[in-house]
Amino acid sequence: MRLPRFEYYQPGSLAEAVTMLSQVPGARPVAGGTDLLVNMKHRVEQPAALVSLTRVSELAGVRLEDGATVIGGGVTLKHVQHDEGLKARFPALTQAASVVGSYRHQTMGTLAGNLLQNTRCRFFNQSVEWRSVRALCYKAGGDYCHVMKKEGVCFCTYHGDTAAALLVLDAEVRVEGPDGVRQFPLAQLYSGEGKAPLSLGSAEVLTAVIIPDSSATDGDTAGGSTYVKHALRGAIDFPIVGAAVWRNGDATRVAFTGVDRSPLRATVLEEALAGRALTPAVIEEVAPLAPKGVTITRTTVQPGSFKRELMSALFARAAGSLL
Amino acid sequence: MKVLNVVGQRVPMHDAAAKITGQAQYTDDLVLPGMLFGKLVRSTVAHGRIKSIDVSKAKALPGVKGVITGMDIPDRVYGIVPKAKDEHALAREKVRYIGDEVAAVVAIDQETAEEAARLITVEYEELPAVFDPLDAIKEGAPLVHENTPGNVSAQIHKEFGDLEAGFAASDYVFEDSYYTHAQNHAPMEPHAALASYDALNGDLTLWSGTQIPYFLKRNLSTTLVIPEQNIRVIKPKVGGGFGQKIDMFAKDFCACWFAKELGRPVKFLYDREEVFQSTRQRHPMYLTLKTGVSKEGKIIAQKITAHADGGAYNSTAPLMITLSCFFVMIPYKIENLVYEGYHVYTNKPVGGAMRGHGIPQPRFAIERQIDQIAKRIGVDASEMRLLNAIEAGEPHPAGFIINTCGFADSVREASKAIGWAEKRGKLPFGRGVGIACASFPSGVANMSHLASGCVVQLSSEGRVSVLSGAADIGQGAETVIAQIVAERVGVPMEDVHITAADTGLCPLDAGTFGSGVTVRAGNAALNAANDIRAQLFPVVAEALGCEVDEIEAANRLFWVRDDPDRSVGMRDILRQYQYIDRSLPIVGRGAWVPPADSATTLLTNNGNLSPNYSFMTQAAEVEVDLETGRVNVIKVLTAHDCGQPINPMLVEGQLEGSILGGIGYALYEDSTCIDGQQHNPSFLDYGFPTMMELPEMEGIHIDTDDPIGPFGAKEAGEGTQLAPAPAIVNAIADAIGVDFDRLPVTPDMILAALKKQREEAAGEAR
Amino acid sequence: MGAKRILTLNVNGDDYEVVCAPNTTLLEALREKAFLTGTKRGCDLGACGACTVLMDGEAILSCITLAVEAEGRSIRTIEGVSDGGELSPLQQAFVDHGALQCGFCSPGFIMSATELLAENPHPERAEIQRRLAGNLCRCTGYVKIVEAVEAVAQGAEGGAR
Repeated sequence: MRLPRFEYYQPGSLAEAVTMLSQVPGARPVAGGTDLLVNMKHRVEQPAALVSLTRVSELAGVRLEDGATVIGGGVTLKHVQHDEGLKARFPALTQAASVVGSYRHQTMGTLAGNLLQNTRCRFFNQSVEWRSVRALCYKAGGDYCHVMKKEGVCFCTYHGDTAAALLVLDAEVRVEGPDGVRQFPLAQLYSGEGKAPLSLGSAEVLTAVIIPDSSATDGDTAGGSTYVKHALRGAIDFPIVGAAVWRNGDATRVAFTGVDRSPLRATVLEEALAGRALTPAVIEEVAPLAPKGVTITRTTVQPGSFKRELMSALFARAAGSLL
Repeated sequence: MKVLNVVGQRVPMHDAAAKITGQAQYTDDLVLPGMLFGKLVRSTVAHGRIKSIDVSKAKALPGVKGVITGMDIPDRVYGIVPKAKDEHALAREKVRYIGDEVAAVVAIDQETAEEAARLITVEYEELPAVFDPLDAIKEGAPLVHENTPGNVSAQIHKEFGDLEAGFAASDYVFEDSYYTHAQNHAPMEPHAALASYDALNGDLTLWSGTQIPYFLKRNLSTTLVIPEQNIRVIKPKVGGGFGQKIDMFAKDFCACWFAKELGRPVKFLYDREEVFQSTRQRHPMYLTLKTGVSKEGKIIAQKITAHADGGAYNSTAPLMITLSCFFVMIPYKIENLVYEGYHVYTNKPVGGAMRGHGIPQPRFAIERQIDQIAKRIGVDASEMRLLNAIEAGEPHPAGFIINTCGFADSVREASKAIGWAEKRGKLPFGRGVGIACASFPSGVANMSHLASGCVVQLSSEGRVSVLSGAADIGQGAETVIAQIVAERVGVPMEDVHITAADTGLCPLDAGTFGSGVTVRAGNAALNAANDIRAQLFPVVAEALGCEVDEIEAANRLFWVRDDPDRSVGMRDILRQYQYIDRSLPIVGRGAWVPPADSATTLLTNNGNLSPNYSFMTQAAEVEVDLETGRVNVIKVLTAHDCGQPINPMLVEGQLEGSILGGIGYALYEDSTCIDGQQHNPSFLDYGFPTMMELPEMEGIHIDTDDPIGPFGAKEAGEGTQLAPAPAIVNAIADAIGVDFDRLPVTPDMILAALKKQREEAAGEAR
Repeated sequence: MGAKRILTLNVNGDDYEVVCAPNTTLLEALREKAFLTGTKRGCDLGACGACTVLMDGEAILSCITLAVEAEGRSIRTIEGVSDGGELSPLQQAFVDHGALQCGFCSPGFIMSATELLAENPHPERAEIQRRLAGNLCRCTGYVKIVEAVEAVAQGAEGGAR
C-alpha cells in the first residue's frame, strides 16, 4: 500500500520547523511516523507536506529545570522506558512507554507522538478502498458515523498509553508555534472531540513534557505510580482500556485511556478517594465508581459494559499494586 | 530394528541458510526485465448486478498499459474441485461479495497501478444480500448463484447403523448446539504472481505462491484457453499457506492474461487487506449434536447437523463438507451415526481449506459435548474418551482401514502428563485443565488426481538430484523428501539436491493439502530411490562378492551387513559402473498413489479415506483472570501418534505452530464481518498470537510404525490444530464452570459469563 | 508534488544512489531500488515486523519509515548480517534449532534479535519475548525462535556478532 504524494522538509532547528509549518500550506509535523504514516497509507490523513522533526535537536533529551523533569518531545518511548531516573521517580510513565504497541513501535515512536496520536475507530482506520464501501464517515470528511448510525458527531476513541500515565503525574506540555511558547496542563491538549481531538495549532510543535517534582515518588510505602493496560494480546495492540494510578500519602490520582475521545482523569473516583488512605478495603469500596462520570464511546468491537468492568478492575489492580 | 542414518534425524531444512540470510526468493522478490505491475478493482457491494464499468480515466492515466473487466476475458469458470467450479477471475454480470474482483489494471509501476485502480468507477444495481447460512437456506432468501436454489452448493448425508434404535437403547440423549467462527490463515507472505509469455512458442510461465502447482496449471489452461502443455507453473519459496494458497486467484489469471496480451512480464501482489478479504478463510459453522450415551458414557448414537458458511464461492466446498463428515467417525467408535452437512453460499468472504479443513469445527462441538455429557452423567471426561476409543484393526463403519492407532495411549499419556487425576476439578477457581482428541488423514485417497511422482538422478560424480512435484510451502517437504532419498541411496544430506514444484521440470504431484505430502510424495521418492538401488546394487554386490539383499548403504559407503569390513565407496562403485559400460546417469523413477478400491468420491461412496491416520490427545492448563476475563494458557501438551517422524525437529515445528494457531482460534482470532464487509483486515485488528502468548509446550511421542507411510511415517501437519481449541475451552469450563458453546472465547464473554454466574448464585441464595 | 530526487542510502556499508520521491518508504527503496529483497513486505502497515531493518543499530519497521529519513544514517539489512557467506551465530542458531519454517518472517526476526543481543547480550526469556513480540510468525509457534535466541544469549552459539 503506497503512501500518497507529499512534499517533504527536514528542518535542523525548532525555529526552522515552526517557520516551515506556518508557511507551507497543509504541512504537518512527523517524527516516528508510526501513527501518521499508517493513516496516510490508509488515506485518512493526506497532508500536502511533512515537516520531519527527527533532526530537530531541541526535542531531544531528558533534563531537570527548576526541579521539574523535562522530557523532550522527540525522546523515543524506548529511551523513556530505559531512563533510570524516570523509572525510579515516575514508574507509571516508563511502564506505559514499555507497553505501547510492540517494541518496534517503542523504538520508533516518540513521547510527543504517542500523546498526539489520532483517535481511532474501526470504520476510520481503514484503507480508502475499504472505506469506499460506505458513506464517508464524519472524521474522514463526511457527515455520518457508522458506529452510532447518525450524523454529525464523531466517536473515535483515544488509545494512547502514556497520556494516562502523564495525567496522573500532573504533567504539563510545552508547545512552540509562530506565536511563541506556551505551557499548559496535559489535559488541555485534548479537545474532547473525536474528529479533531487535539487543541494544538497547525504550526505548533509539542516540544517537551514537564513533570513536576511533586509527582515524583521514590517507591517507598507512602507513594508510587503505575500503569496497567488491558489488550487482547500482550503486544502490538492498542489498549482496550488503560489505567494509571498515582498515590502519595493520602493523595490519589486516577486516569484512563481507551474509553472516550480523550484520555481522562476519573474525577468521581478521585473525589471518593479524597483524603482517604488507600487500603484494600477502600479500593474495593470505590472501584465500582471508576466508570462513573465517564462516557464510554461505543465501538463495534468492544461492548461498553465490558469497558466499564475493566475500568474498575484495572483501577483496583493498579491501586492494589501501590499498597 | 531399523538402523537409520538420515531419516529420523533432526536435520535442518536444506534451504534454511538461504531463508535465514534473505537469499531465498519468494514470488514478490522476483524481478524480470520490462516487468509491469498490476492491481485489482474489487466490488464495493455485497451483492449486485454490474450496470457499467468506466475505465476511461484509468486508461488515460500515463503509465497505464492495460485495463480489463470480466467481459474482456473468456467466460470460463474455475475452482479447485472440478464439479464445483463457480468462479470467474473477474466478475461478469454479478458481484457476490465485498472484495469480489471486477477489473484489473497494469502499469509501469505499482504506484501508478494503484492510482489507476482508484480511477475506475463501477455502477451497480444492488441486490438483497444474505450474510448468514441459516438465513440463506430459508425460503425466499436471495440467491447468491441463480443456479443454486436454497444456496446449498454442496451437501452430504451419511448414515451408519440405526440411529433411532441407538437413541432408544441409550440411557441419556443430549442435544447441544455450537458455533465456530471464521479464522484467517494469515500466512506471512501475501499472495503474489508473476507471469511471463514467450510469444514465439506460445509458452506461458507463471511464478506463483501456490500450494498446488499442477491444479493451478489446469485451471489456468481452462480459463485462459491455452493448452496445458504450454503452461509452466513454478512455485518459488512460499511464505506459508495453511490451505489459503490452494486455490487459483484472480492475480494468477490476470498476471498471465496481461503477460500474454502485452508481451511483457506482469506481477500482481495482494495487499494484506486483500488477503483477509478476498482469498480464503476457515468456514464458520453452525453445528447441532444429538448424542445418546449409556450411563457409563459409551456413545451409542450420534446425529450431527452442520451448516457451513461458505461465503460467495465454492472453493473446496464438496471436499470440505465430506472431510467434515468422515472425520466425525474417528477417533471414537460410534456404531450408529448420522451426519448431515450443508455448504451454504452467503454474500461474504469465501471459505476454503484451512489446516484441518472442515474438521476443527465438528471437533470443537464433539469434544465440548463429551465434556458436558461427562459432567451431566457424572463420569470422568478422560475415561469417557478412553471408553469410546477406536483401536487398530477393528472393522470401521465407513470402511476406514486403520493399521496403526496410538489413540488410547495418547489419551492416557496426555491425561497423566497434565496431571488430570490431581488437577481436574480440583484446582482453585479460575484455574483448570482440559483435554480434547482428534485424528487426521495422511492425505485423502479415493479421489482423482492424487498421484505423486519422483525422479532421482545419480550422476557420475555422486551428486543426487531429485525432481519432485511436491510443493514445499515452508513446512519442509523438500527436506523430508531429500532425507528419504539420502537414506535409501546411502548418501549424506549434502549430496542431495532437490528441485521441486516446477511443472515444466518435475513429475506430477497433487500438491500440498490434506496433510498428504510426506506419505504420498515421500513414498514416490522412496520408490524412485529404490529404483536407483535396483540399478546400482548389482554392481555393488559384484564388487563386494555378496548378494544384493546383504548390502547396507550410508554416507557414500556400501558394506556387507554381517561383515562390515567388506565395504566399498560410492565413488568406486560409480567408476566401476562406468567401466562396465553402463550408461550414466543412473535415473530412478517412482510414483505413488494412495491405495484405493476405485477412484471415486466419498460424497457418494464409503471406503478407506486415507493411507493412514494420525491420532492425538491435547491437554491444556489455563488460568482465567477473573477481573479482566483474559485467559492465560499456561501449558499445552500433546500426546501424538504420527508414526515414525522422518524429521523430529520439523514435526515439533508443525506441532508448535499448530498449537499457537489453535490458541488463536480459541481465544484471539476472529475474522469478523459487518454487513458482509470483512471488518478487521490487518495484523493490528486481526490479532493472531504474538510471542507474548506463548505457553509452555510439550510433545509426547506415541510410538507406532505404520506399514504404508515411508519409514513408518504418518501426517503431522494439520491434525494437531484440531484439538487445542476444544482442550482450552474445556479447561476454561474446568476453571470457572462456564460451558462456552462458541468460538472464540474472548475476555468480554468471560466477564459477562462470570457476572451471570454471580447473579444466579445470588438468586439461588435468596 | 513531491518531486523525486537522488538519495544516498548507506546500506550494509555500501552507498546506494537511489531515485526516490518523499513518499517512497525505506522498504520500497531497499526492495525495489537497491534490489535488496531479503527484507520482506508482510503487512505494509507496521504491524508484523517482517520488514525490520537496523537504522543506526536500532531495529525499525522499514515499511513505515520514509527513505528520505534514512539518508545519512547507517542501514543494516539481512543481507549485511552474514559475513562473507558465514552465518552469524544468531542465524546459525536459528538454523540448528529449526527456528524457521517458511522463512518469510525470519529476516525480520534476525534483525530484531540482533538489536536485542547487541543491547543486552544475556536477556531473560521474558525480555526476549517482549522485545521480539513485534515480529509475527505464523509457522513456528515461536518456541524454537525463543530457544535459538536463548542459546546465543547463553553463549552456546558463541555470542552475537
